[in-house]
Amino acid sequence: MAKLTIPAQELMYSGHAACPGCGPALAMRLLLKGLGPRTILSIPACCWTVIATPYPTTALGVAVLDNAIEATGASVSGLRAAADAMHLKDVEVVGFAGDGGTADIGLQALSGMLERRTDAIYVMYDNEAYMNTGVQRSGATPQGAWTTTTPVGGGVRGKPEPKKDVMAIVLAHRPAYAATLNPSFPEDFDRKVARARSIEGPRFFHIFAPCPPGWKFDSAETIALGRLATDSGIFPLYEVVDGRLRITRKTGELKPVAEYLAAQGRFRHLGAEETARIQSEVRAEWDRLLRRERDDLSGSH
Amino acid sequence: MIEIRFHGRGGQGTVVASELLAQAAFLDGKIPQSFPFFGVERRGAPVTAFTRIDDRPIRVRTSITRPDVVVVLDPGLLRTTPVTEGLTSGGLLLVNTPRRAEELAAPPGVRRASVDATRIALAHGLGTAMLPIVNTAVLGALARATGVVTLEALARAVEQFVPARPSENRLAARDGYLGVRNADPGAAAPAPAPFAVPAPLDRPEGPVASVSSEVIHTAAWRTFTPVIHLDRCTKCNFCWKFCPDAAIELDADGYPRIRLEYCKGCGICAAECPPKTIEMVAEA
Repeated sequence: MAKLTIPAQELMYSGHAACPGCGPALAMRLLLKGLGPRTILSIPACCWTVIATPYPTTALGVAVLDNAIEATGASVSGLRAAADAMHLKDVEVVGFAGDGGTADIGLQALSGMLERRTDAIYVMYDNEAYMNTGVQRSGATPQGAWTTTTPVGGGVRGKPEPKKDVMAIVLAHRPAYAATLNPSFPEDFDRKVARARSIEGPRFFHIFAPCPPGWKFDSAETIALGRLATDSGIFPLYEVVDGRLRITRKTGELKPVAEYLAAQGRFRHLGAEETARIQSEVRAEWDRLLRRERDDLSGSH
Repeated sequence: MIEIRFHGRGGQGTVVASELLAQAAFLDGKIPQSFPFFGVERRGAPVTAFTRIDDRPIRVRTSITRPDVVVVLDPGLLRTTPVTEGLTSGGLLLVNTPRRAEELAAPPGVRRASVDATRIALAHGLGTAMLPIVNTAVLGALARATGVVTLEALARAVEQFVPARPSENRLAARDGYLGVRNADPGAAAPAPAPFAVPAPLDRPEGPVASVSSEVIHTAAWRTFTPVIHLDRCTKCNFCWKFCPDAAIELDADGYPRIRLEYCKGCGICAAECPPKTIEMVAEA
């Protein structure tokens, strides 16, 4: 048997209904490899409800509760209380919601779960729009991106507003653990799942989840695009333990964001000026992360 | 009222077909209605859409479960989807296929019609060999086989509303109209569902979905097939690691094997393979 760098177990089954090259599908597969069979998932309305469960089938080899789109945070608090009341040992309760169900519709329930200090993991898999219903913009859609509700033309240049910073909102609740994960880096992904499992309390994953039809790129490019997102600084990889931030992937100089933007049809309309603005924002955010990491290391924050 | 149900795959123009038919009926002075089934709207996945046509306003807004006409844009669906469900004696089954209408399996009393819309679409440069856009050729055949809309109205609707290549699409509709083949009613038993749906449990608190999704084969979604040249494989298992369908397994020696019944042909394994030993080959 070959030497594996991530767990061999498969708890996401084949035959599911995700599009070819689906980022969220790979995110789920890697996540369950790390979580193991004693996991209870709570999934609200999102792509994954449809992917997993054409009745009477399930693509998930763990217990799943289907819940309403706004209720993921509340449902994981309830599941944890029930598991405790039933004296279920070594059970990991995990909410698994999209960006719309987290950044927009489920935000108060997420805040409540973090504030109650629920011992559970909340996952936001971020494909940056309401993809299940056909690419409507969400709070997590990046500025300038085309969606069906932020069309390009007639003076409109994609989404006018910047992406909501969900990690900042989560970190303001001082969770036990929070991290950004990217399926293009499976070993870093798996290490963070293992790290989170060793910690008790409210934990949060922000997972980068490319969507070939929604972002308009070839399904074969999902992994390459994810690498480019991290290495250009669009989606930096880091974790925050006990309030201390550590960047988990640094490659020296950041790649130009123009490369990342040009690889996707949803940004095709952007001109040099808009690209330059995105570049300077990404640069500033990366510098801010580096500063925060340095300050946290020296204990001066 | 005439009720028409379309079956196709994501990306073939199935929903557009249902809309174009409604537009054509409107131009004929009828009162139409069309909408897609809200389901697994995935590229390559089975898609269902509906059109109703009447002389009076249509009040009903539900999915069509007892269609007068079933239109199948992709012959592969005949194997995987119970397309003739609800289709009864006096109805019509129209399939895009190079086969003759007599060869189609249809429930007793259901008329059969076929049209080689793929050949027509490719002759007019609509779509690619991998994904021909067959909707307008199929609509031409439908107009002839049912008389539900006139060819003139269909041609006008196509000119006005297709997203691209209006004149080629108009010609494809005409060729579909001329190329449809009819047959007498069939007598086949109704197509069996791909797997049995168990009766609801008398235990609402129990698990409601417990059949593994591996009973569903997604090979029909694929237009390119990965082929691994194992002689150059370094057993790095990148292909296994990055497959979003868990469709690659490793054998006892660590070599990858693609489970083709589940591979959707996304091409990630070929793109990520460091020594480039995986080739994407067009489906026969």
